[in-house]
Amino acid sequence: MKINFLTYRTMVATILTVGLMTACSSDDSPGDLDPQPDPTDPVEDSRWITIAAAKMGENPGDGNGGTLIYSVSSEDAKDPTVSIEPFDNGFIVPSNRTARLQASEDGSTIFNISYAGDTGGNYTKYTVEGGQNFAPTGSQVSIAQYVGSAPRWIKLFDGDKTGAAVYVSTEHQFDDNGTPEDATDDTYLRTEATMGVVTLDLQNSTIVEYQEQSVGLSPEEEADGYYISRIDMPTLNAAGDKLYIGARLSKVDPATAESDSDGEILGSKTIVLDYPSLLNPTVITSTVGHGNTNGYRSINSFEFEGSVYQANQGDPQGSHILKIGEDNQYDDSYVFNLDQALGVQDAYILAWRPAENGKAVLAYRHAGSAEGVAGEQGFFALVDLKARTAEQITEIPYDPNFYLFQYQGFAVDGTEIYLTQAPVGENGNIYVVDTESGEVTKGAELVNVSGSHFIGAF
Amino acid sequence: MNSNLKIGKLILITLFLNVLFLQAQTNKDSAVHGVVTTSQGESLAFATVMVKDTKYATLTNEEGEFELELPYGTHTITVSYIGFSDTSHTVETSPSIQRTKVDYILKENAENLDEVTVNGKSKATAIETEGFAVNVIETKQASQRNIQTNELLNTTVGVKIRQNGGLGSQVEYSLNGLSGSAVRIFIDGIPISVYGSSFSLNSLPPSMIKRIEVYKGVVPGYLADDALGGAINVVLQESARNYLNASVSYGSFNTLQANANGLYRFSNSGFTVKGSLFHNYSDNDYEVSGRSVVVTGLGGKQTPITAKRFNDSYRSTGGTAQIGFTDVKWADQFLVGVTASDDYKEIQHGSFMTITPYKGRFMESEALLGNITYQKSDFLIKGLSLNVHGIYGKRNRVVNDTVPWAYSWNGERAIDFKGDEFKYSWGSQQEGGPTLAKIKRNVASVRSGLSYTINDHHKILLNHAYSGIDREDSDELRSVRENTFKGTRDLYKNILSATYELNAFQGKFRGSVFGKYYQQKTVNTDPFINSQTNEIEDEVTTAKVNDQGYGFAVSYAIHPKITLLTSAEKAIRLPNESEVFGNDGDNVVANPSIRPELSNNYNLGFRFGSFNIQKHEFTISTNFFARNIKDRIGLPIETSLNVNDETILYENQGDGTSKGIEAQLNYTYRKNLGINFNLTRFDLTIENRGAEIDVPNTPFFTMNAGANYTFENLLQKNSLLNFFYSVYYTDEFSYLVPQGKNTVGDEFFKVPEQVVHDFGLSYTFPNKNFVMSFDVKNLFDKPVYDNLSVQKPGRAFYLKLNYIINSI
Repeated sequence: MKINFLTYRTMVATILTVGLMTACSSDDSPGDLDPQPDPTDPVEDSRWITIAAAKMGENPGDGNGGTLIYSVSSEDAKDPTVSIEPFDNGFIVPSNRTARLQASEDGSTIFNISYAGDTGGNYTKYTVEGGQNFAPTGSQVSIAQYVGSAPRWIKLFDGDKTGAAVYVSTEHQFDDNGTPEDATDDTYLRTEATMGVVTLDLQNSTIVEYQEQSVGLSPEEEADGYYISRIDMPTLNAAGDKLYIGARLSKVDPATAESDSDGEILGSKTIVLDYPSLLNPTVITSTVGHGNTNGYRSINSFEFEGSVYQANQGDPQGSHILKIGEDNQYDDSYVFNLDQALGVQDAYILAWRPAENGKAVLAYRHAGSAEGVAGEQGFFALVDLKARTAEQITEIPYDPNFYLFQYQGFAVDGTEIYLTQAPVGENGNIYVVDTESGEVTKGAELVNVSGSHFIGAF
Repeated sequence: MNSNLKIGKLILITLFLNVLFLQAQTNKDSAVHGVVTTSQGESLAFATVMVKDTKYATLTNEEGEFELELPYGTHTITVSYIGFSDTSHTVETSPSIQRTKVDYILKENAENLDEVTVNGKSKATAIETEGFAVNVIETKQASQRNIQTNELLNTTVGVKIRQNGGLGSQVEYSLNGLSGSAVRIFIDGIPISVYGSSFSLNSLPPSMIKRIEVYKGVVPGYLADDALGGAINVVLQESARNYLNASVSYGSFNTLQANANGLYRFSNSGFTVKGSLFHNYSDNDYEVSGRSVVVTGLGGKQTPITAKRFNDSYRSTGGTAQIGFTDVKWADQFLVGVTASDDYKEIQHGSFMTITPYKGRFMESEALLGNITYQKSDFLIKGLSLNVHGIYGKRNRVVNDTVPWAYSWNGERAIDFKGDEFKYSWGSQQEGGPTLAKIKRNVASVRSGLSYTINDHHKILLNHAYSGIDREDSDELRSVRENTFKGTRDLYKNILSATYELNAFQGKFRGSVFGKYYQQKTVNTDPFINSQTNEIEDEVTTAKVNDQGYGFAVSYAIHPKITLLTSAEKAIRLPNESEVFGNDGDNVVANPSIRPELSNNYNLGFRFGSFNIQKHEFTISTNFFARNIKDRIGLPIETSLNVNDETILYENQGDGTSKGIEAQLNYTYRKNLGINFNLTRFDLTIENRGAEIDVPNTPFFTMNAGANYTFENLLQKNSLLNFFYSVYYTDEFSYLVPQGKNTVGDEFFKVPEQVVHDFGLSYTFPNKNFVMSFDVKNLFDKPVYDNLSVQKPGRAFYLKLNYIINSI
């Protein structure tokens, strides 16, 4: 097993190093059409791949029956003769609802913040020891006081040092026109959104910083009833001095203060904060993409070559990948529309993950997705951030019952990306995509149980 | 399953036709009458007169006279009375002998006093042998002890109470595995939801209660409501005699419970005054510990502590007063009255105990309701009886959560990672923001019943229940403008039922068949601004649901000591307000086309006993049950299509099955020793779109045992000293669905096996007016949980004084 890269200060350096090291050890036969695991792969170049699975609660696909993890070596993960049964043999992560998992960049540590229930907001980390063995390390700490017991959190790409979680609460404000008892002359002013952001030292299990502050939109947008109603997916910029937070907008009808879902969808927005102080929030707006940038459960924005690339969702033109430049503003000259790139309608990015070469695996649905057990579900594409191209990965079979919405993680090993594919309640496989060559390896079999699904590889 | 029920219905109808046919041949009755006297010639009132091995029985009147209607044939009629030897005579009745007179002279039998078998059935036994899967809890003994109504229910076979803390905390009732809105609770046949939380089973002391009937799966027609899994009916005290009863209890956690109730009837006019008062208070400051009971220090470092709950006090005060006439020519009961109640409950935490305990979050509720009751038997014609019970009033509930400061489990302000006291960014104790959410409801409920007893064999009942709730929500912390645009929600329910009861084969067969018609109308009024006129207008949406259910209950005495009880019902639960109209707070929108949940419920039980072997007496009863639920109402899973827009709606999405067995044993030795034991075991699975799963967070196996022993004349002559001992067992259960065979980490989700022991004693002073009792709950101070990690009180002591006057 490789050692941690914690001593490297910047993410670029880390990624370059990972790239160099894994480039030497990864599949050395690019272009091979009959990918076979290489039995002579030296063990010291292996890493752990942790598979996360979500058991059915009451409703197939709800994933509320427990989150189970199971780890195998990367050789085993690539071996289609290997069978992995997390539901029978896994470790149940202590979280009342689907756990929010993150992994260290080398896969040797799993970080969890328990979601909801009596320990919601509790941070725990585990050393991966293979199979169902996850050894808890470090002391207990909770972020529930700051961001609630169902926190939205993400590990920052700073060498596994920091995690960040966010919370927003809103309140509609009115002008009572000097007559507090008479509602008929009241006018809606704006909606106050209060944002809480906490950073957590993942190594020492302590709270680093917490700030609570108001985050507003432009006066015109606020007068129209728009406000930030949900935030998620904090991402550090390349310089390490700004934190970007994805946002969802909601709207009320200013006449009644009742929610209004028919309004125009504004340009995608991101909150930019000073880091590590978490102060001075500003909101930047894209003119390219429209819709939300808060993603769902898997990381929605990534740093690459000095810029941050962010997916948006609910875009009337289909999802975009947006670019935030080194100046911490949207780079509106970068236009990457999934509808155009894939030749589909209403593309919607469910989850994605680039490797260090700027080539990403992206899960999406579109207007042509069939209605499955868990709604309209997804396909995979290989995306090139630089070339702004996307192509469906047809080697990964499509199944209408394939449920990707709760997908949480892709494991990145150099230019290779590991992912899980299994329809709800059916067996599937690990797939390994070599982002450089486009080659897809069908790996170990994933044994499923009724109503359940897999939520990622770490 | 539906077809099974249809077949069941056919068999049932055939069975009834057969019975009717047989009845037609043997239905001709003649009367046997006579007088019972002692050998000294004094008439014996209330002596039991019965035909052996049948259900034909009566009591003599105050003059010692009796009259029994018997079918033609030869009968051995036995008369018994405490302190006298049983005396039997054989009589023959036939069409030629319409009335037969038989007098009885009973000989005193002093040495036999302990062995007299009283063959009359108690009301409880009578109900329990109607054929329903029903348990009757008599509260007489419990009312003198430090026992709450919910505790009493929890010891009943097939019933499980899930309580989120101590006195006054939130309670959920589960009957044979079905819980939540599947179980309906009634007070004297009126849905308890009418009264609101301030007049709940939490606040009602057992002394106000005459008995509690627990119907599992199959609910008789007269308790008309959409009870999918069963019903609990609390029958309040009603007595023809004047009485006054007062008690006060004090114990651990500063718990004070006081109540008084009484009745006075002017014997000349029949004018009756009736009233009851209750007051309950507890600090509920019991000790808790566990994985979330920690104090957070610098950097977020957690230190586990044992904490006393500090924001959990509960107070409820209330009463009812009624005046009117009882036992007069024109009414058995005509009473008008008022019920008022008020309660205050601090809330220490949400559904779980987390590391962020609440301080200053509380709920207040109050209710003021007028009621009217009219009851008359032999109304207009002999055999017809009428009862009408109506309630109308208001009730309010306010949730108050405005304290923004974070608190720690030590009861003090919490510090953040830098060491400073801090406020939650959401500005309140519970996430979601400060609130003074108020719900105002106008409630009305009218229950009426008409029954016609054709003769000893046939009875017809018609029942109707109406309930209506107009609900208006507001929040003082919200602007007036927002409150103006808050909608109102009205819900009206009509349930009509018809029941036919049959008593045949010399009382060996008792049965009833019933049909229920359900109708529900929900009205949703949402104000909006008309963009043309710029006026505020109301947008009104209504949804109507109709459905029918039916069922039967049959008991047959195979042998005088063995009774077979079987019942089945196609039960309905109508969708509730938020299921039909959604819930703004949770982004749930209306689904007016949602269908009711329905369940085919079956019970098959036996009752053995009572068997008397010398001075030992025992009864065994057992019931097998199955519930097949269809069209369960639930929320769909989150997908990319519904996560950000407001289109989540409740839908009918799956089936469920509960199957199990319950058994009960009662044993008495002389009159001094009583032992009872019961157990319940069941499986509960749900099936949703082809995937089947065992329902988690359910105790599947529970046992209760109790013993009491009475010493007579121990300290004083004519005094009674009772010892009580109870033990409750709940098997381990998991918050999570069952996991694979080799998984690890399961223990995090488990509620461990629990055994709790209670001990009590009560002393009845010689004049019988005064009873003092002492109870120890959770004798061995074990941690007890109904819900994952939510700890209930440890060892506690209570002392209670009762004062009873039975004739004023």
